[in-house]
Amino acid sequence: MSFLTPFFLLGLGAIAVPVLVHLIQRERKRVIEFPSLMFVRRIPYQSVRRRRIRHWALLLLRAAAIALIVAAFARPFLPQSAAANAVTGGAREVVILLDQSASMGYGDHWSRAQDAARTVVRGLGADDKATLVLFARNAEENMRATADRSRLEAAINAAAVSSGATRYGPALKLGESILSRSSLKRREAVLISDFQKSGWSGSDDARFAEGMTLTTVSVASKDTANLSVPSVSFARSTFSGQERVTVTAGLSNKGDQPLTDVPVTLTVDGHEIETGRATVAPHASSSIGFTQFTLASANVRGVVKAGSDPMPADNSFYFALTPGEAVSVVIVNGTDRADDSLFLSKALAIGTTPTFKVDVTSTSRAASGTFDKRAVVVLNDTIFPPAGAGGVLKRFVERGGGLLVIAGDRTTWPSNETELLPGKLGAAVDRTSGRSGSLGFLDYSHPIFEVFKAPRSGDFSAAHVFRYRALQPNPGDRVIARFDDGAVAALEKTVGAGRVIVWTSPLDDTFTDIAVKPIFLPLVHQLARYVAHYEPATSWYTVGQVLDLTARAKARSDRIVVTPSGERQNRISAGEGAEGLLELEEQGIYEVRSAVASGGRPEAIAVNLDPAESDLTALDPNELVATVTGHASQAQAQSATEPQEMTREESERRQGLWWYLLLLGLAILAAETMIANHLSRKEKFL
Amino acid sequence: MEQHAIPGARFVDPKVLGRIGNLEILARTVVEGFINGLHRAPYFGASIDFAEHRGYVAGDDIRRVDWRLYARTDRYYVKQYEADTNTNLSVLLDISRSMSFASRGIPKLEYASYVGACLAYLAQRQRDRVGMITFDNDLVDHVPPSAKHFNVVLHTLDRAKAARPGNLAVPLNKMAEHFKRRGILVLLSDFYEEPDAILDAIKPLKFIGNDLIVFHVLDQAEIDFGFEDASSFEDLESGEQIPVVPESLRAEYRSMIKAHIEALTTKFSDHRIDYTLLNTAEPLDRALFSYLSSRERLMRVR
Repeated sequence: MSFLTPFFLLGLGAIAVPVLVHLIQRERKRVIEFPSLMFVRRIPYQSVRRRRIRHWALLLLRAAAIALIVAAFARPFLPQSAAANAVTGGAREVVILLDQSASMGYGDHWSRAQDAARTVVRGLGADDKATLVLFARNAEENMRATADRSRLEAAINAAAVSSGATRYGPALKLGESILSRSSLKRREAVLISDFQKSGWSGSDDARFAEGMTLTTVSVASKDTANLSVPSVSFARSTFSGQERVTVTAGLSNKGDQPLTDVPVTLTVDGHEIETGRATVAPHASSSIGFTQFTLASANVRGVVKAGSDPMPADNSFYFALTPGEAVSVVIVNGTDRADDSLFLSKALAIGTTPTFKVDVTSTSRAASGTFDKRAVVVLNDTIFPPAGAGGVLKRFVERGGGLLVIAGDRTTWPSNETELLPGKLGAAVDRTSGRSGSLGFLDYSHPIFEVFKAPRSGDFSAAHVFRYRALQPNPGDRVIARFDDGAVAALEKTVGAGRVIVWTSPLDDTFTDIAVKPIFLPLVHQLARYVAHYEPATSWYTVGQVLDLTARAKARSDRIVVTPSGERQNRISAGEGAEGLLELEEQGIYEVRSAVASGGRPEAIAVNLDPAESDLTALDPNELVATVTGHASQAQAQSATEPQEMTREESERRQGLWWYLLLLGLAILAAETMIANHLSRKEKFL
Repeated sequence: MEQHAIPGARFVDPKVLGRIGNLEILARTVVEGFINGLHRAPYFGASIDFAEHRGYVAGDDIRRVDWRLYARTDRYYVKQYEADTNTNLSVLLDISRSMSFASRGIPKLEYASYVGACLAYLAQRQRDRVGMITFDNDLVDHVPPSAKHFNVVLHTLDRAKAARPGNLAVPLNKMAEHFKRRGILVLLSDFYEEPDAILDAIKPLKFIGNDLIVFHVLDQAEIDFGFEDASSFEDLESGEQIPVVPESLRAEYRSMIKAHIEALTTKFSDHRIDYTLLNTAEPLDRALFSYLSSRERLMRVR
């Protein structure tokens, strides 16, 4: 309600007059002097009665009359929009965006957020509709547009904090799409969150159309103290054939106060290994190492827990460890001399991640069974082995095996194996005259050379190459390295599920000195890992990651997944589209076991919170509103959505409320006069 | 008001005195004057009326020894006479603030002054000694009784101003100590105190046998509370104000003032104190006439 002449409202101060007259004025203007009030005083009504209000109804009537008359003079009127809404009902489409990310588990954030959501629901009109959207990393419509408040409240009550990270973009987009579908005139979104800065990039393509409003309700606390375990690293070593692991946990303190003597406990397979004490400075990180333990079996589950604070979820870090498996490599030499592959076999023998189990044989000794259960076959300057002919080697590669061909003088390219071998092998090229050759181009985007990408991460140009085999790549083959003269140095071809790489110069000390260069060892390891499809075992995942069970399946059978909360999910045999995918939504250890075989230890998948959730730094909600609505403030957004209003005078003239107020005030005054006269007759004292 | 050569002479209204002159002021029991044989003095003195004989003691005037009796009895006796003499009339006038009240006619203080002046004049005509004391919460003016003090008394009455709050006990106690000689005491006041307190204050005045005449001076409005409009009533003495609707209060007030007067009448009567209520609305001569008539009537009864 607005007033045309609000200056008159100052007259409301006159309400105090009856009260003051009642309470303060103790004498009339006319004073009669009397010799003694000895007898008057004795009459049982004390003058003290004057100082308190006896006739409340009378006083209220007087005050109401004054207020109404003053209000009438101030010329009240209802603003156009309010008046219009009063007529049309002003039905609203409301979308409640309720943040249920892991950070909402901090202190009482979640309960306050629920309260705020319930408040919004209770504020809905009869014709209003509301949609509840719960969001963390992703957003989902929990309750579709409904006017049923009890269902909405039940949905809010049933909602719980998830383990997901905060992302406002998807939620706002979903909210916008719901509002844009609505036919109601007033469309509002209410975002209830702790407004974690990490959840809003500002570049999220979420824009509200004109006419939609975004209201924010922040439940963020001003001073947040949060200790988290964002990561754990493992140092593995082998002793007496068994792998030993040393765990080092990182600690992060996001609070303003230093944390001293925080207990940090390492638990492995339910047994507490060690509890250490750590001190973390404010807004800093620290680490703590634990005693080495032996990794005896696969899928060993561990957890590191540090201290306690209002957000306990990120105080635990889960992991699952499995002893590394050696990659089986067979090197097929062109001769029976054992030192033909000396550099190669020695280089592979000292690998740790993974370890390589190297067998050396020669073309003449190689049999068809030589390639069975191998991960990598290396043809080291040899003719195509007869044992691999006839499609044996091709099938090995197609099944996922890796073939590394080191081309030398003896290397041959049988015409019937062109499907297996990349390119067309040419004659040897001598670079002995003049300046020797060197590696001039490396495809650093390739996984093999990716590790050498950074500066000072390996100088391939230092290696001299005096002779190499020319290789003409076929269409579809990928050149991953070239010599300085442009000739192919390394060529890759994918065959079936396997990979074939040809290295066109020897990997020893003949015709090249690459074997004595520092890059030799990592290069050989990278080549072997790549063709062997080696993936380091992941000890943990982050909430929100999707796991392809297909790749992990060793047997094509149905699988049962048990989530950390104990829910069982049946997965049809892997490889059937989305059924083979597992979205990791909860923090803790997932168990994956075969639906057929009941024995054995289930596969453990450790899942941790997104470390960004531990950073509770809040963003200014107005910034988000401004970005999403395109208006500097909510008020401007609101005004932009309103149609052109009538002038104040016009609004007031059309309503004329003051008439009613004046008449009511005068009627009250008349009633007051009658009541006051009636009462005064009964009074002995004024 | 017209001025006279003698200050206070205005109090002596010839008309009033014309009616009072036919009356006699008679003391009550022991007070007697000797002028025209109307009074009998309460003390023995040099008089012609023999009273009794008493044995001579050292220090007695030997001129008063009855030598004839000595001749008959051979013992010294002194003759004692009843001393017929003038009496003392003291007017005790309350000049507290409440006495300044007047609803329509003259203020109570003025009315009381008239009464005092009239009585003083009468007494002076009888050759009585006239004195006066004004008081409020303490003694204010004191004119010792004397045959020559009539004018002083009138002057004091003229000068009296009701200015301060009143209190009976303190000044009357002081007066009681002051009076060494019996006399007639005329007390004029509005008596705004509890009847018992008033009596306690007055009783000492009677200790040495004074004849006490009390005039209760009230305005008509004090008796009938005839106010009409609702107003704030201010106590003249305390300054306290009470807003009052007289119409609603009148009946109760009247019954209370009536009870007060009745209580005073009863108590004064019990202590043989003459009490008269004077209404300032009534003519002054009528009030005096009424009083003196009652005095005369009482004397006849005795």
